Amino acid sequence: MKPSTILAILLILPIFSSAPVYFFGRIGMLRSKGKPGEIAFFLALASVLITFIFFALAVNEFFKTGPIDIYYGSIKLSFDAISLVMSGTLLLLTFVVILFSPVYLSEELNQEKYYAQVLVLMTSILGLTCATDLFNLYAWYELMAISSYSLVSFYCKTLEPLEAGIKYLVQSAAGSSFIILAIAILFGGTGEVAIPDLQNAVSGNSTAIIASVALFVIGYGIKAALVPMHFWLPDAHCQAPASISALLSGIVIETGLIALLRSLSVFKNTSLPIGTLFLIFGALNMLVGNLSALRQKEIKRMLAFSSITHMGYIVLGVGFALTSATSAQMSDGIFIHIFNHAMMKGLAFLCIGALFYYLKIAHGSREPISVEDLNGISQHYPLFAFCLSVAVLALGGLPLFSGFISKWKIMASGAVASGAWNAILIIFLGLNSVLSLGYYAPLVNRMYRIKGAGADVIAEKQTVSKMIIFPLVILTVGIIFFGLFPMVLDRFSEAAKNAFYTMFY
Amino acid sequence: MISKIIIFGIVGLMGIGIYCLMITRNLPKVIVALQVLIKGAMIAIIYAGDISGNMDLAQSMALTIIVADTIVAVIGLALAIQAREKTGSSKIQSISNLKK
Repeated sequence: MKPSTILAILLILPIFSSAPVYFFGRIGMLRSKGKPGEIAFFLALASVLITFIFFALAVNEFFKTGPIDIYYGSIKLSFDAISLVMSGTLLLLTFVVILFSPVYLSEELNQEKYYAQVLVLMTSILGLTCATDLFNLYAWYELMAISSYSLVSFYCKTLEPLEAGIKYLVQSAAGSSFIILAIAILFGGTGEVAIPDLQNAVSGNSTAIIASVALFVIGYGIKAALVPMHFWLPDAHCQAPASISALLSGIVIETGLIALLRSLSVFKNTSLPIGTLFLIFGALNMLVGNLSALRQKEIKRMLAFSSITHMGYIVLGVGFALTSATSAQMSDGIFIHIFNHAMMKGLAFLCIGALFYYLKIAHGSREPISVEDLNGISQHYPLFAFCLSVAVLALGGLPLFSGFISKWKIMASGAVASGAWNAILIIFLGLNSVLSLGYYAPLVNRMYRIKGAGADVIAEKQTVSKMIIFPLVILTVGIIFFGLFPMVLDRFSEAAKNAFYTMFY
Repeated sequence: MISKIIIFGIVGLMGIGIYCLMITRNLPKVIVALQVLIKGAMIAIIYAGDISGNMDLAQSMALTIIVADTIVAVIGLALAIQAREKTGSSKIQSISNLKK
């Protein structure tokens, strides 16, 4: 098969399979008595697995011949190393999320809509990472945002998810209009929207260029949850179903950052201090995320704030890379952290989802899981307690887990460049890492050492379904494996780092 | 002269949109404000196509934006209707229960 055919199928297959998933899933739901979402689940799983085969073929072609390009008319899509890392992360996360869903959602109606929209979300991220012109980037982003609005409000029987969905929609759509205006400024000045053409055409620092940088930062910054623009995130992530929170936290906000970076790469021939801007956003994200997470009693909300912190680590790495070329040559930590964060945060949210199912939904309650509910959970659900401990300790950055390695690489990339600010920010990152253990470690303590009220509530223990265990085990093994053998990822992160370097230097 | 009117229109529409987003306390009106905001940006795209002499591209972009923002409006109104069924009013105050 030609490389371009492989890429075309990779991009087209999930979105075209989402319609049959909805259609046959709907028929299956109307016909079946017991398990309403079964047909939709199997079709969606098959679609993800087939997409994964084509992804593996595309990766193979990429390492043989370099980036794969296809043209739809004048629109060029290019599968480069950054697309490779993002798509791989996405497919792994979507696979475990879909495996996790049938048990978790078994009490819900309308599961076919859920699976169909997850597939749309998946296609849009696959497409977005391959886009090479500004407007195409926006169009894929809008598709992704549209599918995530309704997934956030999936539990539409209660009011809070609707509120979260509306907040997300209004803020994100307002951000979109800023992005369109920024594209209009660049398009009006040069007559181009393709990123390579714009890189040659844009230079100097006129007011129009500064304005379009600012509009891109505000527009995509809302979507990537950079700090003064993060207010939608905790609400959306804690009200969405846990599996969707895993996707939103693990890949959707990172995709916002990738879109922002691709857009800002247009300005590489100008002398604007974009790197410094990223350093400031990184520091703000780490501090605000940690301080807010410390106050939370609701675990999903705590994890949502911790996503803001982890975006801070990634953004700080980007800032180091953009301020100095030597740092940029060591910037593979950014991409490893995107991958590791997807696994760690995915595992944490899925564990909370599993506990939510067995502690709350199975007893007819919809109260969110609070910190107290974890007391003594290791006696009743030892596997969930173990997986959640691995996830939060890895998120806190303990050695032997994968989160440590990528944080270390980000710090190392900052350390190779001279400058007092770099040293201060590296120390700040380390301190924030310690601070974040201040809310992760008590969770482990509660699960293993405190024998409290939580254990009494769950006196009648449920048998745990194997379907819900399998995805958790995959991610736990992944976190420990990539913590012990991080060099497995080197080949991919090196390639992504080189692509990132050529984007900006 | 024409160009000044158009730029005034773009700035005016986006300004009205942002102002309404900030002061409106009624969900359907918030969606209308979003539409006004995005329409302002869309006129900017068309005007950019005009001054750079690439009108075909500008047209196709404008059509894409129309499709995208209509879907956003549909989903927004659907959520607003659901919220109204739960609370009996379309005021924003009635759906601000999540803590800050």
